[in-house]
Amino acid sequence: MAESASPQGPAFESPVVRSYPASRAGDLTLSDESAVTKWLVRAGTEGPTADLLDAPFGTSRAAADGALVLGSRPGEWIILGTSAEVAAAVAGLDGLEEQEFCSALDWTHGRAMFRVTGTSAARMLEKVCGLDWSDHMTPDGAVVSASVALVTCDIARNDRDGVRSYLIFCDRSFGQYLFDALIDAGNEFGLSVAAASHSHSAD
Amino acid sequence: MLLVPCPNCGPRNSTDLRYGGESHARPDPNTASPSEWRAYLYLRDNPAGWLRENWYCASGCRRWFSIERNTATNEFRDPPLPGDKRGGAA
Amino acid sequence: MTMSRQGVQPTEVIDRAAKLRFRWNGKRFSGFEGDTIASALAASGEQIFSRSMKYHRPRGILTADYWDPNLMVQVGDDPNVRAGHRLLESGMDVRSQNAWPSLNRDIKAANSLLGRFLTPGFYYKTFMRPRWLWPTYERVLATFAPGGKIDLDTSHAYHDKRYTHPDVVVAGAGPAGIEAALAASSAGASVMLVSHEHSVGGHLRYSSDAADQAALVELRTALDASDVEVLTDSTVTGRYEDNWLGIVQRNHPIAVERLIKARAKTLVAAPGLIERPYVFEGNDRPGVITSGAARRLVNLWGVKPGERAVVFSANAEGDAAVADLERVGTEIAAVIDGRTGGHISSTRGSSRAVDAVVADGASIDADLLVVAAGWTAPTSLLNMAGDRPVYDPAAARFFPSDPPSNVLATGGLAGDADLDGLRQHGAATGRLAAARAAAVRHRLQARTARALPVEGDEPAWAPDERAPLGRDPHPELYRADTHGMVDMSEDISSKDLVAAAHEGYDSVELAKRYTTATMGPSQGKLETVNTVAAIAEARGETISEVGTTVWRPPYAPLTLGALAGRMFEPVRVSSIHPWHEANNVSVIQAGQWLRPDHYGDPAAEVRNVRRNVGLIDVTPLGKLDLRGPDVPKLLSLLYVNKWMRLGIGRVRYGMMCAEDGVVLDDGVTGRLGEDHYMMSTTSSGAGGVWEWVENWLQTERPDWQVHVTPVTTAYASINVAGPKSRELMGRVCEGVDLDAEAFPYMTVRQATVAGVAGCFMWRIGFTGELSFELHVPAGHGLHVWEALMDAGSDLGVAPFGLEGQRIMRLEKGHFIVGQDTDGLTLGPSTGLGSLIKLDKDDFAGKPELAWAADRSLPMVVAIQPDDPGVVPQEAAQIVRGDTNEILGRITSSRYSPTLNRSICLGQVEPDLAAGGTKVTVLLESGERIGATVIDHHAHFDPAGERLRG
Repeated sequence: MAESASPQGPAFESPVVRSYPASRAGDLTLSDESAVTKWLVRAGTEGPTADLLDAPFGTSRAAADGALVLGSRPGEWIILGTSAEVAAAVAGLDGLEEQEFCSALDWTHGRAMFRVTGTSAARMLEKVCGLDWSDHMTPDGAVVSASVALVTCDIARNDRDGVRSYLIFCDRSFGQYLFDALIDAGNEFGLSVAAASHSHSAD
Repeated sequence: MLLVPCPNCGPRNSTDLRYGGESHARPDPNTASPSEWRAYLYLRDNPAGWLRENWYCASGCRRWFSIERNTATNEFRDPPLPGDKRGGAA
Repeated sequence: MTMSRQGVQPTEVIDRAAKLRFRWNGKRFSGFEGDTIASALAASGEQIFSRSMKYHRPRGILTADYWDPNLMVQVGDDPNVRAGHRLLESGMDVRSQNAWPSLNRDIKAANSLLGRFLTPGFYYKTFMRPRWLWPTYERVLATFAPGGKIDLDTSHAYHDKRYTHPDVVVAGAGPAGIEAALAASSAGASVMLVSHEHSVGGHLRYSSDAADQAALVELRTALDASDVEVLTDSTVTGRYEDNWLGIVQRNHPIAVERLIKARAKTLVAAPGLIERPYVFEGNDRPGVITSGAARRLVNLWGVKPGERAVVFSANAEGDAAVADLERVGTEIAAVIDGRTGGHISSTRGSSRAVDAVVADGASIDADLLVVAAGWTAPTSLLNMAGDRPVYDPAAARFFPSDPPSNVLATGGLAGDADLDGLRQHGAATGRLAAARAAAVRHRLQARTARALPVEGDEPAWAPDERAPLGRDPHPELYRADTHGMVDMSEDISSKDLVAAAHEGYDSVELAKRYTTATMGPSQGKLETVNTVAAIAEARGETISEVGTTVWRPPYAPLTLGALAGRMFEPVRVSSIHPWHEANNVSVIQAGQWLRPDHYGDPAAEVRNVRRNVGLIDVTPLGKLDLRGPDVPKLLSLLYVNKWMRLGIGRVRYGMMCAEDGVVLDDGVTGRLGEDHYMMSTTSSGAGGVWEWVENWLQTERPDWQVHVTPVTTAYASINVAGPKSRELMGRVCEGVDLDAEAFPYMTVRQATVAGVAGCFMWRIGFTGELSFELHVPAGHGLHVWEALMDAGSDLGVAPFGLEGQRIMRLEKGHFIVGQDTDGLTLGPSTGLGSLIKLDKDDFAGKPELAWAADRSLPMVVAIQPDDPGVVPQEAAQIVRGDTNEILGRITSSRYSPTLNRSICLGQVEPDLAAGGTKVTVLLESGERIGATVIDHHAHFDPAGERLRG
């Protein structure tokens, strides 16, 4: 999901504005991925849009064109990726409004997004969220909404190379607060702040 | 803490939901008398026993649903009805 | 009695090579690694650890564990530390509590002489009358209040929090609990084993029996090799609905305490038994200890409890204590066997030590009395699960009755057996717990969309086929033929309880509250059954007939810090916030938002907006993106006014009322495209309005086609206000004609601003000036703000904050929902009654608003004090003349730098609402001032010429 910087327009300002010291010991990393393009699609839980996106509530799917499709709520999907990947993923939606009531909007600026990766990522989330992060309740690919450090978030388990990894989304305005709360929760596991794995075009 | 069975998310901590109170139908605003309207606004049966009530899955799927709960034992009677909060008192 | 350290014991937990130095009441002491504070002091010969709460009697070791009521000490700035449990650390500053001026010379011990004034209900009886003396009573009583000293300057320690969802939680790590944990883990369950003590093993830890020690090693080895998560020095403090458990972990490396909130699929309660003290005259004299205390002192810490002992034994534990004492050289003066009718009556000696024990009618010289009188079953977790344990007189303790099937008891709580029998019962309990947990897990997975799919039907609920434990007979030993202390935490004697019963407080729940028995730091673990027995005796009934109090959470007292956990206080900021912080902002917290209040001089900010142009960051303004063909119907349903014909590019103001007709929110909504609208809400109402909209769409109008998305923080919102705002906007906007005719008041346009596409702006004005409310994709908010500041430097552009905006909106008379309205303010009271269109078919609150339409209501009005220099406080009352009859109140009040006078909004009774009405405002000082209601809300530019410009 990497992409080169956009040629025009001002740079994207992340909600995380503080800087953090370079890596500490430990295999747990936190990165700010807020610049990733995010679209929100709404339609019926069953119908042509649901068929096309093929990620029922609670699940996610890597689309062929590189985007990640999250079944974030019944009849709601979040589509992530570079702007090109997301554009490719939502292109198929054109014309569906003839068949059913559906809508799509660019939510990139509305949501902060962080990634936590590491074997102790679930133990870290246990400190800020009351959900069950075990493999049988929240397996790789699971998508769920819950309060994280008192902020309502969407969370997608999206393992990297077999290592536990979670994408955590919240309202952009909570971004700095939540980033710091995650750092605090990760301290005992030796969390370090990593560079974003994505860049983004300022669109 | 009570586990509330959300029809979409499964059992969730009650703090993940907002309690919407007893299910009751909204009267027709054009024909309801003031006393009928105020009964809708303020009067509740509050039984010790089975009660159909509304919940909003605020931290989860953000969907309203109605479900029967025994207020004396905190048992839920499955299945909850997604989207329907009118239901009428059980 | 003088205790002293003896030779190495095979079972001891101290490291004699690791000497720790500490202070006790300022004097130097030392102990070893592994000592508790109490064992180190006892080993050094200390006898007196505290003074009792009411009578300030000297108190020594009683149980030498967590529950010991006499071992509450202050450690540094930490009060009420349990010296019988807290491990000694190097450099500790330990002090005694409840002693003044010192432990050895306590002036308040005179209370003992005043004992007749401290009878049960003493406080209720003595300090009730005369009432006017209560402040004096209170001051005097406060100096007698028990407990340590709280240092208000103590820094906040880091308290941690964790949620967890184990299949099985085992509360208690004696042999049965450990076996339960191992068996459940072997059966595939995830298991958390919680030990109240510093190490697992329960009573095996302080048994000198070789078989017990071998079993302890075996169990610990098995536990180390298992997947069981073991928490030591941790307590399951409460069991709540659906096996939600509170667990306090006191020894976590990163936090002084960690509160764990566990959702266990099954709970195994294995807390063991707690040894019950015996009631007789002089039973609280230092030198009287339980048999468990004797065994712990000898076997864990190598401390000899006394030189010459009388042992009162009614069970095997007492017999074992005799052997332990003899091994460290305590002379056994007598063993009084409680099973065969032997009895003790009293101790004799000074207030500070036992000299002799009166037993079986004879006085026996001794400095130590060891008592093994029986057991209390700590059924707390079962009580919390709804069980009502039942008393068995033959075994002299309570047993579980019928707990819910996801709570299982094992170990001493469930019955008696030899060690193998207890272990087998524990293992069987663990297997049952795992089987039932598997069924719960199956159900959870099957019902949770995101979970791994499950195969097959839910497993049947495993039947309880455990062979029940037996019940060893035990004499009912509660009180001897003399009276003594029942509750040492609270200084309540059996005589007090009998007196309470005779006064009519003869139910345990009443007697408990009347006397405060069982309400101290021991929380009933030592004294509840003795209390019940005393009441039963006074009533001439049995313990079964009297019943017991209900044990509620917490199992053991816990700190407020542990309950508070980590402090999550979410705050929101806009993307422009870094600029504010770099520019001398004074921040105000509004709800969760950190907002600029002002940048030094709000009055100057107001003047600049009225004269030039100002920028305010209004990002918190609620914004809901509405899409779909039925949006106009939704707007008509939720707002009181009409919305079916709003043209594309138009903006309209709307007021929302709840179903009771009370003003809920207000704001403008604009139509951006054919089926695309943007609704704005008040900043504080953003979340509530969103849920309100969803509620209507999901439950009342599910057939309507509308998609609602909260986009409040997707945009940075900037209000550009002032006579020069159009000129400034012209310098940064592309693709939009800003001319008054092309972009008139109450319209919306989309534009590229400072190179940022996808912005929209509407021409509205809370400040009353020509203004453009600009909404920029949030990831470019700071860029656009800086571009505006740069572009307008020659126009005098300056930021303004919330305070400046509040002044300007008050000058214009715009009410704020929740400030100028309250929970009873009906729509028409705002003065905007003409907006309410009762000819619409339906809208929220219509019947109430129809009812209100023909009635006189309190009104929001603009008010000006007659003295322009007086600014009344907000919430100052409007009264009738010189009386205190309340006719309204001031809801907003400021000094206007534009008008150079004080200006207000207020709510007044209907007959005061007409322009020109003179009213009286009662100030906080008591002064009354005259003020005048003006005939429109706007104090400034009532025709609105400036904002339409």
